[in-house]
Amino acid sequence: MATSITPGSNAPEADLQPEAYTSEILQHLIEPITRLKDGRVLDMGPVCEENIMFFAGRLQKHYVCDMFLRLIREQRVARHSRNVWRHLDYPPRFFDGIHIWDFCDHLDDKKVGQLMKHCLAMLQPGGLLLMTAFEKTPPQGRINAFIIQPGYRISYRVQPHLNLPWHCRHNRALMSLLTGFSIVKTLRYRNGIREILLKKPLSIS
Amino acid sequence: MLGKGKKTESDRTASPDRSGETKSTTFLSRSSTPDAKTVIGKHIAIEGSIRGDEDLQIEGAMKGNIELPKHNFKVGSSGQMEGEITARNVSVSGEFKGNIKCHEKVEVTHEADFYGEIKAKSISVEDGAYIKGVIELDREPNRKPSDTRKPQTPAAPATGDKKES
Repeated sequence: MATSITPGSNAPEADLQPEAYTSEILQHLIEPITRLKDGRVLDMGPVCEENIMFFAGRLQKHYVCDMFLRLIREQRVARHSRNVWRHLDYPPRFFDGIHIWDFCDHLDDKKVGQLMKHCLAMLQPGGLLLMTAFEKTPPQGRINAFIIQPGYRISYRVQPHLNLPWHCRHNRALMSLLTGFSIVKTLRYRNGIREILLKKPLSIS
Repeated sequence: MLGKGKKTESDRTASPDRSGETKSTTFLSRSSTPDAKTVIGKHIAIEGSIRGDEDLQIEGAMKGNIELPKHNFKVGSSGQMEGEITARNVSVSGEFKGNIKCHEKVEVTHEADFYGEIKAKSISVEDGAYIKGVIELDREPNRKPSDTRKPQTPAAPATGDKKES
């Protein structure tokens, strides 16, 4: 299912935002990695200052690659021919963790499969992938950055420069796309947001 | 070093003085006022290294390394810069490819296209900036992150998180 919604109603901004929540799963991702000597996490964006401060304050080095903006730019220049994944040109088994936020909600099934393959390749065996997914397209179809606040509280900030289609999926459809990973934990929040923590099996090098 | 004193771009071009001789001292002087700043204009392209004792702003194209250990460096919104930068504060609004070593703060604005590595004491990033890179912030030794405490009970609307598996 793909829906493309153009912002434009008169509804107050606050009414368009999903409710804030506390991410237990983010803690599951970050705390084991901070205990590593040189833990590496990739944040696929949207880039925002608070998240950079959060990760860079805990890890020696924080890796950022804003795939949301990359996807938009690829679509602008050539709708079909370009390979957006070339921007994920990191060495194999480089990361201990990857946070893709709700990027999958803006990819069709084929592209989600491609993203999963790239994440599998970039992660260490046993490495963790955290994703967020909406159950249905948020009001007005606005894309938000998920802002990490103290105490793993997640709030939102609208990113008006991001205009991507939505591909919200039911649980079964979403899970069927996450091939190659084992599921560590999933949580569904009242605000319609799901968080899924996946692990690259140790058997896959 | 590229300039002396706060001048307009036209001041910086070599120009005849009253005696009719060409002045080039603005390019060569080693002294600078505290607020001195050199701007490399939109239609200038430079390849090479720059060291200096005053602020520098690139609006044109620059390939090479820049060392301004006590001063500020800016890639303006029309600027394109490729190379290594060492400066006190760095601001990126244009295109940047390379590494930044900054003694104080790096600012990346919403117009920026940044590819590379940032080492700094602090960073500010505007929404809309494109960053592909590595960020390393100075951390005080033995400092504990301020928000590693356990997740708190969510505020009322967000309570009732359902655990699925």
